[in-house]
Amino acid sequence: MSVNRRRFLATAAAASAVVSAPHVHASSKDKKYRTALIGSGWWGMNILREALAAGQTKVVALCDVDRDKLELAGEEVMDLCGDEPNTYTDFRELFDKEDVEIAIIATPDHWHALNTLAAIEKGAHVFMEKPTGHTIGESQAILAAARAADRVVQVGLHRRIGPHHVAGMKFLKQGGAGDIGLVKMFVHSRGGKETPTKNSPPPENLDWEMYCGPAPLRPFNRKIHPGGFRHYLDFANGTLGDWGVHWLDQMLWWCDQHSPRSVHSTGGRPIRGEAVSNEEEQTSDTPDCQIATYEFENFTAVWEHRQFAGNGPEQPSIGCCFYGTKGTFHMGWRDGWTFYPDDSKKSTFHQDSELQEPDGHNLKLLWADFLSAIETGGRPVADIEIGHQATTLSLLGMLSLKLGRSVRWDAEAGRITNDDEANRLLVREYRAPWTYPVIG
Amino acid sequence: MFKSRLVVVWFVAGICSSIAFSDDWPRWRGPNMDGISRESNWTAEWPQTGPKLLWTCEVGIGFSSIVVQGERAYTMGHVEDNDVIYCLDVNNGDTLWKHEYPSPLDDRDFEGGPTSTPTIDGDRLYALSRAGDLFCLDTLTGSVHWQIQVAEAAEVRVPGWGFSAPPLVVGNRLLLNVGESGAVLNKDKGNIVWSSADKECGYASPVVITGAAKPTVVFASARAFIGVDLETGKQLWSERWLTSFNCNAADPIIHDSKMFVSSGYNRGAALFDFQNETPKLVWKTKELQNQLHSSLLYDNHLYGIDGDMDDGPRLKCVEWSTGKVVWSVDELRPGGLSIADGKLLVLTQSGELLVAPATPHGFSTIARGQVLQGKCWTVPVLANGRVYCRSVQGQVACVDCRE
Repeated sequence: MSVNRRRFLATAAAASAVVSAPHVHASSKDKKYRTALIGSGWWGMNILREALAAGQTKVVALCDVDRDKLELAGEEVMDLCGDEPNTYTDFRELFDKEDVEIAIIATPDHWHALNTLAAIEKGAHVFMEKPTGHTIGESQAILAAARAADRVVQVGLHRRIGPHHVAGMKFLKQGGAGDIGLVKMFVHSRGGKETPTKNSPPPENLDWEMYCGPAPLRPFNRKIHPGGFRHYLDFANGTLGDWGVHWLDQMLWWCDQHSPRSVHSTGGRPIRGEAVSNEEEQTSDTPDCQIATYEFENFTAVWEHRQFAGNGPEQPSIGCCFYGTKGTFHMGWRDGWTFYPDDSKKSTFHQDSELQEPDGHNLKLLWADFLSAIETGGRPVADIEIGHQATTLSLLGMLSLKLGRSVRWDAEAGRITNDDEANRLLVREYRAPWTYPVIG
Repeated sequence: MFKSRLVVVWFVAGICSSIAFSDDWPRWRGPNMDGISRESNWTAEWPQTGPKLLWTCEVGIGFSSIVVQGERAYTMGHVEDNDVIYCLDVNNGDTLWKHEYPSPLDDRDFEGGPTSTPTIDGDRLYALSRAGDLFCLDTLTGSVHWQIQVAEAAEVRVPGWGFSAPPLVVGNRLLLNVGESGAVLNKDKGNIVWSSADKECGYASPVVITGAAKPTVVFASARAFIGVDLETGKQLWSERWLTSFNCNAADPIIHDSKMFVSSGYNRGAALFDFQNETPKLVWKTKELQNQLHSSLLYDNHLYGIDGDMDDGPRLKCVEWSTGKVVWSVDELRPGGLSIADGKLLVLTQSGELLVAPATPHGFSTIARGQVLQGKCWTVPVLANGRVYCRSVQGQVACVDCRE
């Protein structure tokens, strides 16, 4: 797929002619956006539920390669709001047939670019899940397309707008923790050695060929679907490509979107064991522990995840610590934020989280911000460029891990400096008939 | 479906002859297959020091609950490379006999070990492994009357988490939830009478519809609850019930010409009416999601564990006729529950045993005490004044509640 700037402008203009241009006519809260959900599984439905709760959504279409997920989602939509969306297993058919004003993209990572680009090409505004690409080139293509077509693309970084994140960031930016010299981002859990799971024929309700899409067609394994794609490098980038994007984004928010000079990562599967993938059986293949070091001009940021041993003495197990001259600031998830002054005689500051359930998120606020950006024509709080920057840092970590050496990132050029081999990893081979997006 | 009262009499009589009423707890969900004990000669007036532990013992890793007949209790667990079926002395926890067979722990998705509960029928004990090894043992000696590999014999696939449904005896038949809509064996010989298509089964026990015109059994498949003619295996109706992981694990509850079903992973629950032969929806809710354990229907209210077990589930009371939540206890983290003499017995995930009246007026504990350490996801069982609790790692605690 070629993302041609001129073509996008033309498409957007044509779309505006037939479709009512949302940000011209959408000032009324009565406006219902014709909405399509691509990827109607667990997280996609979390987003759609919040969209419905906001009252400005008419669900016109659902798309999933798993027909059970599709049917479940259709039933829930009908129960929630009475809409009877058309269902599709191929997003291309959906965009051909439906008149979509908002597309929600919640597929596995390897599909994000093609799904989002198709939505933008049809003139839709997009709420897409992070990461904004499986490789950096995909993310760059989405950013270019969104700008060329002047569409709002909000990335699902709900921690950008969650109340305790906003308040905590204000505290930090006002110097509450003093001058920051080190940032540590981390997610730790428990686990052990992984035994391979037998491959099996894909379930009758699943279009496995389409699930794999642009990624290699590998044998089906029930650990991949439903719910396991993050642990397979064909489809995602493990914990750094998942949680990492959220916490890297918090760090980037704090440092005003500066770019690191270099990135270096180590890690592997010392506990889960060597990855297995053959005709008989498979294990996951993402690292069970990884450290990525981001060297900025005035500070260093370190990502660390570990899927064994729990959190032990390093309470808590998840979040982002900013170490400053006045103490340590922890931005957490369910545990809110806490500031620990360097003088242990002083008392800590703390603010609780305010999350929506299930699954503890702030999608409600993020969706409201998305609608507001569509109505005003402004940039949303987790705009595609913001999502792109956080995604890029996570993918640079993966890239360094794969190469076994550090890389120097030229954010301006969107290239790695003086390393052809590394630059080749900014893109990936797509399986036919899919073609890698090119910025035209 | 509720036409012939003559058949009803035959059918109920059929069940009563195979599972006689007593204070024993001969199978999963107890003598009346509703998770409720009628036993009243027990007490929750525990000493200040907490409930009296008569004994504890180790039975290996697993989720299998306890069944009791007279002086003997039975359960299963995984030890080293074997599954072990235990016969325990209820007086001291001593192992009277055990039967072992090679079986992988299969701990890829959870701690592993057997998940189904053995079934007692007279002097026979039926036990099913996750991989499909089915044993008919002598309750007194543990000797094998017969055994088969049921997945191979019925030519059906093993579901994702392995076979979990307890066998059910009806007359001379042994009913298993394997294949799309079950299989029936001759309980004396182990030969297959009928089986169903090679599609993924669910994890719930077969449930008989008492009072149906044709003897009917409901099987929870991966994607539906299916009513089956017990005689022939023919599917009479199918109520589609999809879940995220093909996980229909909680037994359906049949009562008053209605069927209650519930599943986890954000699926919810529904009540269907059978008055006109095919199920018709009465209500549906997201407010009661039984991921593993079946709810209990007592005095027109459902008491159940709502939400996925790993995510801090809630204990709820829900009105049968409307699906409305009457009360919810959010911080308890229940791991299993049963009812005895109008009281809820709740084993928390951290091993605390609680007793509280089963009433829509609220959850108010009348007794509580720590009985086990470590994760507990198995229902506590009362039989003959003793409450049997079990942890995933395989510790069994026998709590003395005799008056």
